[in-house]
Amino acid sequence: MALTTTLLNSAYLRGRCCRHKVLHPLLGPLLSCSMKKLYSSYRRPGSEPEKKPSWRNTDFSFKKSIEVLKTQLSMLKKETEDHLTGPGGHPFSQYLLEQTRVLWEFRSQEDLNKWVISSDVEIGGKSEVYLKLGRNNQAALLYGTLNTEVPRDGETKYSGYCSMRAKPPVGSFARKKYYDWSNFNSLYLRVRGDGRPWMVNIYTDPYFSHQKDDLYNYFMFTRGGPYWEEIKIPFSKFFLSSRGRVQDDQHPIWLDKASFLTLGFTIGDKVDGPFRLEIDFIGLLNDRAHTEEFAYETYEKNPRV
Amino acid sequence: MNPHAKLIFSVSLLLGTTITISSNHWVMAWTGLELNTLAIIPLIAKSHHPRAIEAAIKYFLVQAAASTLILFSSTTNAWVTGQWDITQLTHQTSSLLLTTAIAMKLGLTPFHFWFPEVLQGSSLMTALLLSTMMKFPPLTILFMTSHTLNPTLLTIMAIASTAVGGWMGLNQTQTRKILAFSSISHLGWMTIIIIYSPKLTLLTFYLYILMTSSVFLALNTIKALNLPTLMTTWTKTPMLNTTLLLALLSLAGLPPLTGFLPKWLIIQELTKQEMATATTIIAMLSLLGLFFYLRLAYYSTITLPPNSTNHMKQWHVNSPTNTLTAILTSLSTLLLPLSPMILTII
Repeated sequence: MALTTTLLNSAYLRGRCCRHKVLHPLLGPLLSCSMKKLYSSYRRPGSEPEKKPSWRNTDFSFKKSIEVLKTQLSMLKKETEDHLTGPGGHPFSQYLLEQTRVLWEFRSQEDLNKWVISSDVEIGGKSEVYLKLGRNNQAALLYGTLNTEVPRDGETKYSGYCSMRAKPPVGSFARKKYYDWSNFNSLYLRVRGDGRPWMVNIYTDPYFSHQKDDLYNYFMFTRGGPYWEEIKIPFSKFFLSSRGRVQDDQHPIWLDKASFLTLGFTIGDKVDGPFRLEIDFIGLLNDRAHTEEFAYETYEKNPRV
Repeated sequence: MNPHAKLIFSVSLLLGTTITISSNHWVMAWTGLELNTLAIIPLIAKSHHPRAIEAAIKYFLVQAAASTLILFSSTTNAWVTGQWDITQLTHQTSSLLLTTAIAMKLGLTPFHFWFPEVLQGSSLMTALLLSTMMKFPPLTILFMTSHTLNPTLLTIMAIASTAVGGWMGLNQTQTRKILAFSSISHLGWMTIIIIYSPKLTLLTFYLYILMTSSVFLALNTIKALNLPTLMTTWTKTPMLNTTLLLALLSLAGLPPLTGFLPKWLIIQELTKQEMATATTIIAMLSLLGLFFYLRLAYYSTITLPPNSTNHMKQWHVNSPTNTLTAILTSLSTLLLPLSPMILTII
């Protein structure tokens, strides 16, 4: 190990003083001993310039750490009390009998901070997206301009998307929090759009990283009028896609371990122009009239009837 | 599933179990355990759902690590003592490693984390196999080596398992996870008595298999994967709903039902062995599970719930009377008066 390091170091020094001499092209990045050259040096226009090493982000002040510890311990105490009360912190009877639940409501800036907006600026595009509270603090307003102009970097073919995603819920000591949505079978949204179609995405944080790009999608077609709309999307309609490609082997979404089940809205309908979406609240509904298990064919050769 | 594949998996499961429980050499025991692991992986991952695949991967990783530890402990013992006999594991480090390995295989605390997730990802019948048959070989190995294992460690793991099984099972809403935590709790009871009276461990295990099989078969009939579905069975199969709740209470150890028998005998034996503190602690901890089952029984059977379900699979059920379920549920609730006879048999 030490021998290799000395070899590399000496090669680096020699490389620096004899740069004009031709180094073997394949060994060049290896011998230069700098991380930047090992990966492609093209940085997309919308991405962060220089990443701070993660150890620079930690705050080493003692007083602040005591505050943080107090907060985390109080969260842990609250979680224990909730565990004693019943599933999800509510009494057992409430879990067994509830038919609706409001997940996200937009009434203050704190509620807005639970969401993250992003657009194709990250890959170098020109769409704009903003999120603010609507009139009388009664709704969230997601607005902006979609621009499908492709960034000129030679490898991107399509562009033009804007999205809003919920931040995953975090428990005490930065542990993942799990919710149980198995009581419900549809998503209930009260929105007022401008007629443009949106895509609703659900991300179930899987345990293994092989499935980290899996996303369940469905469409939300808004009406555009001055009246508020109540859209019910059953969970049986969500189809599975990975990295944007719809998969062949479809299966219904499992709601029992709704860990990091972050919800997202994306607009990407290839039409340039402004868009507006007001969302009053997002909730869950147990629609008794909806009996469909799954809307698409599963890949079973001999399905059990 | 392809009938040939199903045949190979079932035969491999039976073969693996038989090889392990009838072995005298450590390598044969390890072979049987590996056969079992490999045979049940496709059964867990049968439905190809990501959660099922996740459960299969977790099961494989844990069981493979545990099998490696078993092999390592037997090899170190063979190096030191010169023999591979299962009943003569005399080297201290080997027996410690073996206890860890068996705890991982069974799902004893602190190695229980994989068990609820694996059970949740598999189908009800596979979950039944995982809870009953896959526990048999490791428990047999524990039975054969019990006289050489560290009693303090086993007692601590047993009490911790009962605590975890009771505490974590309090707010579960998925039936498979409830049964997973009840399994962890029962394993705690089985482990605490193995030093003093291994026959009681086996009795607890057999009664546990009886009760768990009846619960799983009943749940399979009504296809109840979560509690709201379980609660709506009173409209469709009222007798099954009642007997299922009685079987669950039997699992919790309520007195006039069968599940009380192993707990009573274990408490008696532990008190005779001057372990009154441990007995009190473990008895109090199993009250947590009892509380949860009683609450469930109250909400679903004693007070009839008003909701209905739109779970389609229940309405398609056209199966004839389940003789096996009937026999098993009757046995799992009514066996207590026969306890003098059971005591003479074990």
